[in-house]
Amino acid sequence: MAALDTDDEILQDFLVEAEEILEGLNEQLVELETQPEDSDLLNAIFRGFHTIKGGAGFLSLDAMVGLCHKCEDLFNVLRQGEKIVDAEMMDTFLKVLDILNSMFDETKSGVFPSPADPVVLNQLSVYLEGDTAPAPVVVAPKETPSGDDITDDEFEALLNQLHGDGAPGIQSNEAAEPIQPPSPAKSGDDITDEEFEALLDELQGKKPEAKPEPEVKAESKMEPPVPVKKAEVAKPEPTAKPAAAAKPAETTVRVDTSRLDDIMNMVGELVLVRNRISTLETALEDEEMAKAVNNLAVVTGDLQTAVMKTRMQPIKKVFGRFPRVVRDLARSLKKDINLELRGEDTDLDKNLVEALADPLVHLVRNAVDHGVEMPDIREAAGKPRQGQIILGAAQEGDHIILTIADDGAGMDANILRSKAVEKGMMDEESALRLTDSESYALIFAPGFSMKQEISDISGRGVGMDVVKTSISKLNGVIDIKSDVGVGTTLSIKVPLTLAIMPTLMVMLGDQIFAFPLVSVNEIFHLDLEKTNVVDGQKTIMVRNKTLPLFYLRKWLASTFNETDKSQIEHVVIVNVGTQRVGFVVDQLIGQEEVVIKPLGALLQGTKGLAGATITGDGRISLILDFPELMATYAHREY
Amino acid sequence: MSVRVLIVDDSGFFRRRLSAIISSDPELTVIGNASNGQEAIEQAKLLKPDVITMDIEMPVMDGITATQKIMTQTPTPILMLSTWTTEGAKSTLDALDAGAVDYMPKRFEDISTDKNQAHQQLCQRLRNLAHKTRPYHIAPPKIVKSVIKTSLPTVSLSRESRALRLVVIGTSTGGPVALQKVLTQLPANFPYPILLVQHMPATFTPSFAERLNTQCKIQIKHAENGDELRAGTAYLAPGGMQMLLKGNGRKPFIEIQASQSTQAYKPCVDMTFDSVAKIYPKETLAIILTGMGADGRDSCHNLHDLGSTIWAQDEKSSTIYGMPMAIAKAGFADGIFDLNDIGHRLAGLA
Repeated sequence: MAALDTDDEILQDFLVEAEEILEGLNEQLVELETQPEDSDLLNAIFRGFHTIKGGAGFLSLDAMVGLCHKCEDLFNVLRQGEKIVDAEMMDTFLKVLDILNSMFDETKSGVFPSPADPVVLNQLSVYLEGDTAPAPVVVAPKETPSGDDITDDEFEALLNQLHGDGAPGIQSNEAAEPIQPPSPAKSGDDITDEEFEALLDELQGKKPEAKPEPEVKAESKMEPPVPVKKAEVAKPEPTAKPAAAAKPAETTVRVDTSRLDDIMNMVGELVLVRNRISTLETALEDEEMAKAVNNLAVVTGDLQTAVMKTRMQPIKKVFGRFPRVVRDLARSLKKDINLELRGEDTDLDKNLVEALADPLVHLVRNAVDHGVEMPDIREAAGKPRQGQIILGAAQEGDHIILTIADDGAGMDANILRSKAVEKGMMDEESALRLTDSESYALIFAPGFSMKQEISDISGRGVGMDVVKTSISKLNGVIDIKSDVGVGTTLSIKVPLTLAIMPTLMVMLGDQIFAFPLVSVNEIFHLDLEKTNVVDGQKTIMVRNKTLPLFYLRKWLASTFNETDKSQIEHVVIVNVGTQRVGFVVDQLIGQEEVVIKPLGALLQGTKGLAGATITGDGRISLILDFPELMATYAHREY
Repeated sequence: MSVRVLIVDDSGFFRRRLSAIISSDPELTVIGNASNGQEAIEQAKLLKPDVITMDIEMPVMDGITATQKIMTQTPTPILMLSTWTTEGAKSTLDALDAGAVDYMPKRFEDISTDKNQAHQQLCQRLRNLAHKTRPYHIAPPKIVKSVIKTSLPTVSLSRESRALRLVVIGTSTGGPVALQKVLTQLPANFPYPILLVQHMPATFTPSFAERLNTQCKIQIKHAENGDELRAGTAYLAPGGMQMLLKGNGRKPFIEIQASQSTQAYKPCVDMTFDSVAKIYPKETLAIILTGMGADGRDSCHNLHDLGSTIWAQDEKSSTIYGMPMAIAKAGFADGIFDLNDIGHRLAGLA
């Protein structure tokens, strides 16, 4: 096959749009299965295929055109209510989406997409045939005067004759199709229904088309996920005079994400400079200077938000794949599950969207596989047969909360505890001391599986420990709540963006360290009298909860002296993965937004450090990576 | 003064492509775009474009409804970009009924294997459409008047009443609506057969014939090889082919030929009219309606010289005054009439 120019902007433009549409189709098709007669939905899906076909046609991606054309035709029939989609047809459509996906991949790698699986094309044709059933009686004798013995070749010739040579679109499609097997329904005829239909179309023109009804709902769903793109549908300002309107109409440009990353980095540098200047300014006590610095701070802040916004994408981009994931999995497990998506429009940093995709898929699969019970079991337990999984996203301040909630069997903390002992992860005594939520957190420990046998579902993709690691990498925190018989709710808290991080600056000895603020739970003064030693581990009681307490100085500062200890210390409670831990620090400096810089070659690979940054007073501060820190120094997995 | 174009399409990809193609023409400027019918109506009001390209399948409001509304609120020439398939035929014809003046395939390969050529064609169409500032659209019947003084109605009528045997009509852009206007005025007992040559893709003509047939009192048939001419029946030349009249004056029949790739028009007015000139050199009434280009000029010249009658649509009522202008300028029109008048006069022959 000939090569495509993948650098071609037009091709890229097409792929971006087509993939968006494909994601939408994925979602809409699954939705359609529950509402097979929703005409807005049918119209939207029809248009989706129609638009991809149009674009593919523009680029001469014939295989794609052919496939989409068939689907478009079929949805044209469906939206006129002449047929209703069933589960089997849905499987075929979903297969079509998979094929389209691989066609996109082929296109991306610079080759013309290979023709679609004839079995699928065939299947689509079979579905298409059924709809004009009443007519054959009338037309058959007319076109096949000799009765019945018309061969395929003859028929092709006849069709070609009818077509003339002016219908390249149609012909290329038909060329791509294998010869249709006779439909079982009308075995009496020697010409197939598919051919019949083509014939009918030629003879009587096409059946009336329903006019699409206005559909506000579908429209909002089709909205492009990247906010930048919204600008393109924005109306020109009413004040624009015709002369001014002469400027090019498209208001969007495509920008390489790496360029956005560069801009973000530079804004980061600017933030550091601003921090530096405002620190210097406080020493000057010059009013004019203070004003200017304040201005700088405001502008920098605005710039930072603006740049961040260009990188924002709705979480929908990830959520969009879940209806399909849940449907397929539930079908293969013979479970009945309804997935509800909430807060799909929540925006977050593009990098985060991508980084969250895999962990979320795993957690959702887990909820389907381990969370929701089989319909019969549910019924026996007095629950509706259909299980419910809610996937939600919401913004809370400068972080995003993602929740995966199921109304399944829930987890029994005691079983988890005994399992941990059984696996030799801890002794019985420590297991008993685990709180319920600590026990739930055990599911994230490597090698900890609740299922006796590993199903192909849980066996696929990343393990739960990998999920936890990747969430922690994003400075994310996982929280699990579970009630036996009621269900499990898993919430993940991640910062809005990875590029600029709000931190809490603390002093250890004469060194500044930065705690990612998203992990910081609370700060208080501690009377050291109130610590206890449990199992050789110093602990504190915070609101009746025992938390392990560590002296960060011991780990990180070179000049640690036990005698330096004062009676009252500052303790920062930090969320590490699913746990809360207290750290004793020497001094609290305050909150500061920082940009993470990689560590220099000398420090590269130092455990427990996420990177470094420059503080307002020009000093270098190390940013802590708590999960790694704990693993390295406390010899505990968190 | 460049032509100001509004692009309406729900696909951003397509809007950008169209925008790039249209902007490449120095005489055209894209002044805005809309992603659905509703926006199109608003933009048409706000920007007052000279011409609009309109997609059919769109969310919120489809292109046909939008065309209808724009034509009543802010009449603007509209070029439909449609799918040239049998399914697309109906909606395209609906759009023309709604007031769109012309249509082009969304898939440019349908008109030319050479992309640049197709792009140029698109730009040329837009320029031509825009020059018609106030599109002519289903106007109420007007007072009958002829434009050229030398050919008074009485003259032309007397001429064809001598021995009229056949009416032939050739048309292109704007033709579907014009034909509909003319043919719907004819009574069921119209005494002559009619041959219709409308420039149209192969996938469209069957639908178009069927649609006309339901609208008209006379019979309209998608012409087939071997059809014998019957009075009160109009035969529409199939798209992608050539329709010729064969046989002799007593028993003429239609022959459908495959068109050659060298032929610019499929069907071609000149080819049909020339074949008619061999059967009914004096007994033909040839009518050229709205359309771009000059197809029909040479054959009408020939028919005129042989003694047949030639009518042409006037400039005012033509969507595109190209083909009729070619006839008028060459000076062999026996009558130049308003579209309503043409139907009226034809009906008068019955």
